[in-house]
Amino acid sequence: MLATLLSATLVALDGRVIRVEVDVAPGLPGFTIVGLGDASIREARERVRGALRNSGFLHPARRITVNLAPADVPKTGSAADLAIAIGILIGSEQFTARAGRAALIGEVSLGGEIRPVPGLLPMVAALARRGVRRVIVPAEGLHEARLVEGLEVVPAARLADAVDVLRSRRRAAPAAPARMELAPASSVSSARPGPALAPPLAPPDLAEVRGQAEARRALEVALAGGHGLLLVGPPGTGKTMLARTIPTLLPPLSDEDSLSATIIASVSGEGPIRDLVRTPPFRTPHHTSSYAAIVGGGPRLLPGEVTRADNGVLFLDELTEFSRDVLEALRQPLEDGRVSIVRAAGAVTLPARFQLVAATNPCPCGHAGEEDRCRCAVGVPERYVGRISGPLRDRIDVWVTLARVPGAAMVSGVEPEASAAVGARIAAARARQLARPGRRLNARVSGRALRSIAQLAPDTAQRLADLADAEGLSGRGTERLLRVARTVADLAASEAVEAEHLEEAARWRPSLRQPVLALAV
Amino acid sequence: MDVADREALAVLLSVDGLGPLTLGRLIERHGSPAAILEAAAGESGAAALLESSRAVAGEWRTMPRLVAQGIAEAAGNRASLLEAVTRSGLRVVARGDAEYPHRLLTIEIPPPALFVRGSLAALAAEHVIAVVGTRRPSILGRRIASRIAAALCRAGATVVSGLAVGIDGAAHAACVTEGVPTVAFIGGGHARLFPRAHDRLAEAIVEGGGAVVSEYAPTVRPTKGTFPQRNRLISGASDAVVVVEAGARSGALVTASWALEQGRDCFIVPGSIDSPTSAGCNGFLRDWPGLAKVVSGVPQLLDDLGLLGEAGLPGATGPELRSTVRFPSAAAVLSGRDAAQVAVAEALVHGAVIVDELVAVTRLSVGAVLGALTRLEAAGLARPIHGRYEPMGPLAAVDPKAA
Repeated sequence: MLATLLSATLVALDGRVIRVEVDVAPGLPGFTIVGLGDASIREARERVRGALRNSGFLHPARRITVNLAPADVPKTGSAADLAIAIGILIGSEQFTARAGRAALIGEVSLGGEIRPVPGLLPMVAALARRGVRRVIVPAEGLHEARLVEGLEVVPAARLADAVDVLRSRRRAAPAAPARMELAPASSVSSARPGPALAPPLAPPDLAEVRGQAEARRALEVALAGGHGLLLVGPPGTGKTMLARTIPTLLPPLSDEDSLSATIIASVSGEGPIRDLVRTPPFRTPHHTSSYAAIVGGGPRLLPGEVTRADNGVLFLDELTEFSRDVLEALRQPLEDGRVSIVRAAGAVTLPARFQLVAATNPCPCGHAGEEDRCRCAVGVPERYVGRISGPLRDRIDVWVTLARVPGAAMVSGVEPEASAAVGARIAAARARQLARPGRRLNARVSGRALRSIAQLAPDTAQRLADLADAEGLSGRGTERLLRVARTVADLAASEAVEAEHLEEAARWRPSLRQPVLALAV
Repeated sequence: MDVADREALAVLLSVDGLGPLTLGRLIERHGSPAAILEAAAGESGAAALLESSRAVAGEWRTMPRLVAQGIAEAAGNRASLLEAVTRSGLRVVARGDAEYPHRLLTIEIPPPALFVRGSLAALAAEHVIAVVGTRRPSILGRRIASRIAAALCRAGATVVSGLAVGIDGAAHAACVTEGVPTVAFIGGGHARLFPRAHDRLAEAIVEGGGAVVSEYAPTVRPTKGTFPQRNRLISGASDAVVVVEAGARSGALVTASWALEQGRDCFIVPGSIDSPTSAGCNGFLRDWPGLAKVVSGVPQLLDDLGLLGEAGLPGATGPELRSTVRFPSAAAVLSGRDAAQVAVAEALVHGAVIVDELVAVTRLSVGAVLGALTRLEAAGLARPIHGRYEPMGPLAAVDPKAA
C-alpha cells in the first residue's frame, strides 16, 4: 500500500517542504530510498528499521520503496526519519491514520525516541507557508517550533507517541514534557554534566578591565558605529578581555533581526531554542578554523562563522595567524553584508552582516614596543602587521594599539566605567544613526549618504583636508576618517561633525607605517 | 685628482673584496687608479694585476685571484658602474680632495674615496660630535638623544651619526628640526639605503645642507661586516663620540671602542643597572675607567666638550647657561597652542607615555586628550609608537627640568 506524508528539509537557511512517499509492496524484501538524499538519508534505513522493531512494531519483510519528492531538490539530514517510519507503518497497514494529515519532522533513534534536528524553525515555517495545519515535532523542539504562528505544533518524544497522535487525534501536548524528561538521552546529559565541557564563562564587565583608556574608547566608538576594530598589543595587555566584554555592551536585537538570528541559531544546531534570540551573536572562531568553517558550506551547506555572526560581532583573536584564504574570504561579506557559496549545482547567498573585531600581537614575539623584551629584528614588527592585506585593512575603520599599562596606573587611576554606562551611550548613538533616513549604522552607510549626514562647516572641512594631507590619506582613507568622526559626533549627541570629532577619529588610523610626519624613528 | 682617476676609483670601489689596504697598495704600485684599470683591461689583465700586487715582507697578504678577476671585470663594465653612481646623484670625494674630511685622514685606514650625497662642509666645522646608540632605545633614551643633538646644534657643533633607527635617527631628526646640517655615515651602498624607513630622513638631511656618506659603491649590500667598519668613520670624522643608550652587545660600543683607538673623546650616558638598554653603556664605563667619560647632564657635556668657550659653566646650572646654549622652553615651543595641547604636551615632556597617564595628569576627557594628540602630531610635536606617545621635534629637545 502507498502512504504519502509531508516533511521538510533544509537548503542552507531555508526550509523546503518535501513529500515522503512510501510504497510497501509484495516481493523480495528490501528497503530503497530514492530522491537525491545524502548519506544521512541513506542511513535512515538502519535507524528506521531499529526504531520500528524496538517500539513494538514490525519491520515488514516486503519490498519497501521510499521516494522523496520533489526529485530535483537535494535532501540532507535526518529530519525525514519520522515521516519514513510512520509511512512504513501506514503502508504495511499496522495502523490507520485519521483524516486531517499532519506533517512530521524528527530523527528517530534505534530505540524509537524522536530526536531534535537542526533547522526546525525554518522547516516548520516552510510548512506553515504551504498551509499545513498540524506538525509533529521532537518534544525537545516544541518551544522552537511554536515560535511559528499559524499551525498546531504537537510534540512527540517517541515513535509510539507520534502513532498515538495520528491514530486518535488526542492532544498529546501536556504529556510530552514529562516523557521527555524520562528519555534516556536527555537524562544522561542533564544528570551528569561532563567534566570536559564547562559552561561558557559569562562575559566580563567593562569595569573589570583596568587602564587602557584609549582602547576602551576605541571599542566604544567601534561598537557605536558598527566599525571594524583592530586591537594591536603585546600579550597580557587586555585585548581579548576587552573584546570579551562586547556582549555586555551591545543593545538587544530588533524584532526583525532577532528572527533571522533565531533561524541561523536553529540551523546551526545551537541546541534547543526556547525563545527568539535577542542577544546579538558574538562569535569567536579559533585561528586554525578552516575556510568552510568561517565562510560556510560543506556538503550540507551549513552556515559558517560569518553567517552565525550576522547582526553581531565576529571576533578574530590572533588575526595574523588565520590562513590567508580565510582572511581574503572575509572581504566580500565585509563589503556586501552577505556571502555567496557557489556550487556546480547553484549558488546560495547567506546573510553575513557582522562587525569585525580582531586582535593581534604587534610582532611574532609579541613584545614590540617593550624595548627590553622584543626579540624581533628591526622591521619585523612592521612586516608582521603588514600580513593583513590591503583590502582587509581598508575595511577596518578603527585601529588601536595597546601598550602595557604601568602597575601604578592599574592600581590607582580612576575607577573604570561599567558596561551598563558605556552600553547606554552606545545604544543612544546607534539609535541616532538608525533614526536617519536609510536606517543604517555609520559603518554601512554609503559614501554619498555619508557626505549628506556628515556635512562640515567650511573651516571643519579645511581641517579634514589638512588631516588627510598630513596622513597622506587616500580618498578611501578620508572617507573612513569622516565615517568614524560621524560616530564620535553621534556619541557626543552632536548633530554636526566638529573639528574635535575629526581629531579624535584621526587617532584610529592604521598604525602600519610610522606617521609620515615623524622623521625620528 | 683628475676626473679619470676619480671615475676609476668609483669603479674600483665597487669590486667585491677589494678593501682600502689592497687598493692603496695597487695605487702605490701603478701610480694612479686610472693606471690600475688600464693594466686590468688587457688580455691577461687579471694575471698582471695579481703579479703586481704580490705582498712583500710585512705587508698584508696578496690579493686573492677572485678579486683580481673582479677588477678585470669591473674594468670591462666601467660604463654601467659609473652610471650607477651618477644615477644615484652621488659625488665621489677622493682622499686628497679639499672636501675630504680632514679628521678622517688621521685614522688608521682612511677610505680611498667617499660616495657623498649632499655637502660635506659641515664636517669641516670646528666641533664635530658623533651621537650614537642602540637601534632599540627606550623612549627616555630617544628623548635624551634628541636633547643632546639639539643642544650640540645650538652650541654650533656638527652632529654625526649612522642613520640607523633608534638613537641615530633621533639625533639626526633633532638636527633637521633645528635646521642645522648633520652628516650620516651609512653601512652600505646608497642604492641599498638601510633601513628603508629612513628614506625620508635621508632626504631631509640632504635638503638641510648635510650629507649622507658611504665608503661603499652604490650597489654594495649592507652586511654584518660593513656596519662595524662604517663605525670607524663615524668616530673618525668626529672629535668625540657620545653613546646615549647601548645594550650589552650594541654596535654603538664598537663605535666607542674605535673612538678610544683613534684618540677621540668618548662620552657615555650612564643608565640604571636594571635597564637592559643601558647595560652596554654601564659595562663600557666599568671596563674603561679613566678613558670613557660620564655624561652627567647636557650642559655639563657641552662644557666638557669645550663648546661653552672660555667662560665654561657659570656655576651649576644657572640661568646664564640657558642663555648661552639657548635651551628651548616648553612655553616657547607651545606658544599659540590651545590649552589642551599645552597640558598634554607638558605631561609628555614630564614622562607620561600612555593615554591613561595623560588623562590622569591633565584631567581632560579621553576624547579631548586624543584630539590634542592629533593636533600635536600634525604640528610635529608628538607621535605614537606602539601605543605610547612621545614628544618629538622641538618638544623633544625641551629639558623637563626647565619646562
